[in-house]
Amino acid sequence: MSGRNNSTAVRRLAKEYKDLSKEPLEESMFVAGPISEDDFYEWEALVVGPEGTPYEGGVFCAKLSFPKDYPLNPFKMVFDPPVYHPNVYSNGEVCISILHTPGDDPLHYEKASERWSPVQGVRSVLMSVLSMLAEPNVESGANIECCKVFRDDTPLFEKIIRDQVRQQLEIPPEL
Amino acid sequence: MSSDGDEMDYDDFEFEDDEGIEDDNGSQTSIGEAYDAFDDGVAGKPVKKDPWDISYQPKSVEELQEEQKVLVDRVCGLIDSDPSTAATLLRHYHWNPEKLSDKFWEEPAKTLHAAGLSPPSSPSSSTKPLPASNNAKASSSRSRLEPVPTESFECPICCLEFEPEEIASQTLSLGCEHRFCKGCWTEYLERKILDEQESGRVQCMEDGCGRVVGERTVIALVNDKAKDRYRVLLDRTYVDDSPQLKWCPHPGCEYAVFCKESPARKLDQIIPIVHCACGNDFCFGCGFANNHQPLTCRYVKLWQKKCADDSETGNWLMANTKECTKCNATIEKNGGCNHMTCKKCRYEFCWVCQGDWQSHGTSWYNCNRFDEKTGQDARDSQAKSRASLQRYLHYFNRWANHEQSAKLDHQLYQKTERKMEEMQNGSDLTWIEVQFVKRAADVLLEARMSLKWTYAMAFYMKKDLSTEIFEDNQANLEQAVEALSEMLEKPIDATTIMQLKSDMVNKTNYVKKRAEIILDDTLKGHYESRWKFTDRD
Repeated sequence: MSGRNNSTAVRRLAKEYKDLSKEPLEESMFVAGPISEDDFYEWEALVVGPEGTPYEGGVFCAKLSFPKDYPLNPFKMVFDPPVYHPNVYSNGEVCISILHTPGDDPLHYEKASERWSPVQGVRSVLMSVLSMLAEPNVESGANIECCKVFRDDTPLFEKIIRDQVRQQLEIPPEL
Repeated sequence: MSSDGDEMDYDDFEFEDDEGIEDDNGSQTSIGEAYDAFDDGVAGKPVKKDPWDISYQPKSVEELQEEQKVLVDRVCGLIDSDPSTAATLLRHYHWNPEKLSDKFWEEPAKTLHAAGLSPPSSPSSSTKPLPASNNAKASSSRSRLEPVPTESFECPICCLEFEPEEIASQTLSLGCEHRFCKGCWTEYLERKILDEQESGRVQCMEDGCGRVVGERTVIALVNDKAKDRYRVLLDRTYVDDSPQLKWCPHPGCEYAVFCKESPARKLDQIIPIVHCACGNDFCFGCGFANNHQPLTCRYVKLWQKKCADDSETGNWLMANTKECTKCNATIEKNGGCNHMTCKKCRYEFCWVCQGDWQSHGTSWYNCNRFDEKTGQDARDSQAKSRASLQRYLHYFNRWANHEQSAKLDHQLYQKTERKMEEMQNGSDLTWIEVQFVKRAADVLLEARMSLKWTYAMAFYMKKDLSTEIFEDNQANLEQAVEALSEMLEKPIDATTIMQLKSDMVNKTNYVKKRAEIILDDTLKGHYESRWKFTDRD
């Protein structure tokens, strides 16, 4: 069993990568893969802003960093550049329950079933991120300022995001 | 068959004389053990005599494990299942076999599902005891899911491939169709047990699958460290799940106490103090790590909060200080005349009416023209605070005095020991014959403890006719306690030692009697709801 952790993580990541690349690109809302095939622990993902949300039209880039004991522990996901969203820290780190182990939450604020477990993977997390973009959870916000704007001033919230998306696409901001 | 013998269920929990337990008692000193021979009830064997007494039984970890085993065996018989399933079901139903078997026979599939055992895919599979071999789980679930594996299997977690013939020995499914390799199971389970302190309710790794991992599966897979931890955690949940069991709160004690009467609802009437096998008392009702008779749990909590928090500081400030009307600095007048000059803002005012000193001019103390309603109210409330503070301090000082004495019991024992040696050297008394000193010290401590709580009790009591008897009893005990205490402090004179012995034995018996009287009366009063209390703060 020695060295099981390292080889397990790489084997599992290789498998996930293989499965993800089999999916037809035009249908999926995201793509993800290792930045370099020399290092399977650092991935990059592109997530498409869901339709009907202020994020629509945007493509958001994120770094995925896997721990050596993956999939026992979850990976870390950081949007680069940071995305303006109640559940994304201002440094771009995504904070959703599926990326937390049950032990992370001594108050049992989140249900254990919503947590990371070794059967989760890049696919299931990115699906969760897509639904997070569509439906922010202000109950356990990461960016408190953003939570306040989201709660109190929806038009402003949406404008900030649309401007970010336009800036990214190099279109001048809305008037 | 489910209801047969229901009454017999807790037979093994019934109170039994705890002869054997004194023997395992390692925490008392050798003197303490020898002295036990003289003890006729201070340390108290749980002999039930009055309706407000409770019967209870300290249980060692071994006994707790034995009980679990008995219950599991019983349930195995009741619902015709294997021990692992029975244990999981029992944990779900808080170790109540009657409720479990009733539910089970009503709706077997639902019951199994609720407890985290997915419904049997064939009627016989859950009720048929599984073979006891180590890989029984794997092989039996394999026979259910994939009778003859023909394809290789890839573990969804670590992506290792297993040949068809390896599947039985290298992979495992809990019977919920989610199969993983044993390596992944082991890592997952060890982590659950060692990091997350979970035991009886670890679930299948698959997202959303509530299937509970059985005891035997865990034991077969994890390392020794996790195995030990797992067993400890299981015992812990057994006690935590049962309202009739409580862990002894004393550090290092591994006993739990069983008390059948589940007194939670009657805590206004009885004070369920239990004497653990480790030699310490604790309250079964509130977990207080000592004997707090005769005050009920509720008021012990209030009293402790009161003593701990700052409310009395506030009361003291209210009663003894005034605020400078200009800068609000708190000022205590510690002498001198009523012409105050605030040290902070140099404002000059009158201490009596708190008005500006200017208007007083030379007519000192002549401030009755400020004696309006508002001024009167302020002084009234101050007087009230002062009275309340005095009342509290009266009881607190007496309570704290005995509390302090109890804290010094360590020293008292040392002193007593020295005294006993002295006696042996100074006379021809034998070691056994000087044990009366030790007994006096023990009785004294017990009595002080009871006396201490009578003062906290008196603080919350409403004064009426019945409290007079209480106060008389209290005064009698107090007097006797102080007399005995003095006797213990006295230097020993070889010539009068026999006289001292008989005096001390008499006084000890008297104190013991007085303590019993006040305890009996107060406990009876609680039971009859004779005492009236107010929740003052």
